[in-house]
Amino acid sequence: MKKSTAFLTFAAIVLALAANLSLAWGYFTTYTQASGRWPLRMGDKTNITEDVSDWTKHVVITSEEGSEPVFVRAKAFGSGKYELEYSDPTNSWSRGNDGFYYLNRPLMGGEKTPELLVKINGVPDKPQEEADKEFNVVVVYETTPVLYDASGNPYANWEMTLHATEGGDS
Amino acid sequence: MAGKWKKKSSVPVGTLALFFVAVALLLCGSVGSAQAALTYFSETYTTRVQTHNIGVTLLENGNKIAWRDYQKERAEGIWNETQNPVETRLLQHLVPEGENFLMGKGYGEELAVENTGTIDEYVRVNIYRYWVKVGENGEETKVRDLDPSLIGLRLVNGEEWLLDESASTKERLVLYYRDILPVGQKTPLFSDLLTVNGETLAKVTQTKTVENGYTTITTEYDYDGVEFRLEVEANAVQTHNGEDAIWSAWGRRVSVDSNGRLSLN
Repeated sequence: MKKSTAFLTFAAIVLALAANLSLAWGYFTTYTQASGRWPLRMGDKTNITEDVSDWTKHVVITSEEGSEPVFVRAKAFGSGKYELEYSDPTNSWSRGNDGFYYLNRPLMGGEKTPELLVKINGVPDKPQEEADKEFNVVVVYETTPVLYDASGNPYANWEMTLHATEGGDS
Repeated sequence: MAGKWKKKSSVPVGTLALFFVAVALLLCGSVGSAQAALTYFSETYTTRVQTHNIGVTLLENGNKIAWRDYQKERAEGIWNETQNPVETRLLQHLVPEGENFLMGKGYGEELAVENTGTIDEYVRVNIYRYWVKVGENGEETKVRDLDPSLIGLRLVNGEEWLLDESASTKERLVLYYRDILPVGQKTPLFSDLLTVNGETLAKVTQTKTVENGYTTITTEYDYDGVEFRLEVEANAVQTHNGEDAIWSAWGRRVSVDSNGRLSLN
């Protein structure tokens, strides 16, 4: 076979294959995409006020406006010499086995807790001993962010371990 | 002069003629369909041309949120696809109006795929989840040290939706629908619930400040102000020569049994 004939034959084959190329290699495909986003807001700021009258501490914890909901618990510590008696006129607090008083519901941003009263019993009207003239009763309170179960019911996890990174001193 | 002519005509005239005939036939074959259009029309007898149009639609809680369907109404065909921006298609109604997103709560996120084309198809979905920090100037930075798996999309119907573990990571999940998805049909759900794990509240950064002899430790939540992102991509491919089509289109070796059912190799 002459070279030119072979070339023309080859060219004809290439043309024929090229004409069918898209049929052989093309598969029907398609795709579609969707995406969404949601920002998370965390953080809370709370503070405590303790007004004292008639040997009774009126404890109120306030959550600042814009704070995320938290659960609250509080406990008073004294020297042990005088009995501490808790009372809760609004039935909003429950005593836990650990001695803390737990607010029965989440404290929302901008809200205040109902008063928790801590009465110091047995303080003499005219203390004779120097040690009785001055003593401390310290109220400690803690908060934990509100968590929700799959159905949206709030709960507190007081055992949650924080994984903290040191942000540096200032 | 005669010698020159002899040299030029070394290709036999017959071969040359046959070559040109072959080229002409190929050209005629290509343009034939275009020229054949509407040479005769009868009002009494009409016929319907069935074209092979592939299409796929993503469904969220029963609503069509994204689609891309081929429509060969003209010779070149067009794609009928969702027009609104990709990032505005998903999670638009995740939280009821007036409510806040609650950590740990499960929100209905029922996702499925529908065949909106005119041919049967195989389907797979790629799911991406990750965290993004958005700066004050709107600049977005992907946060790589926050755990994507805390963005919990609950997968369901695992028998029908095959998880490709070799291609899946904490950030990406790849699911193949096991069966052929017929025209007009919907797959079973591949997810039903979205939950952001409350563990996000446990990752904090603490800064110690000393002022007037008092030490204050400020605790900041690492996830505060961070956005979670969820992306879903639905892919479809023809069922004819399914194994090769999937290998070519998606780069995944699969086996197809006599019922058209897929298994991952």
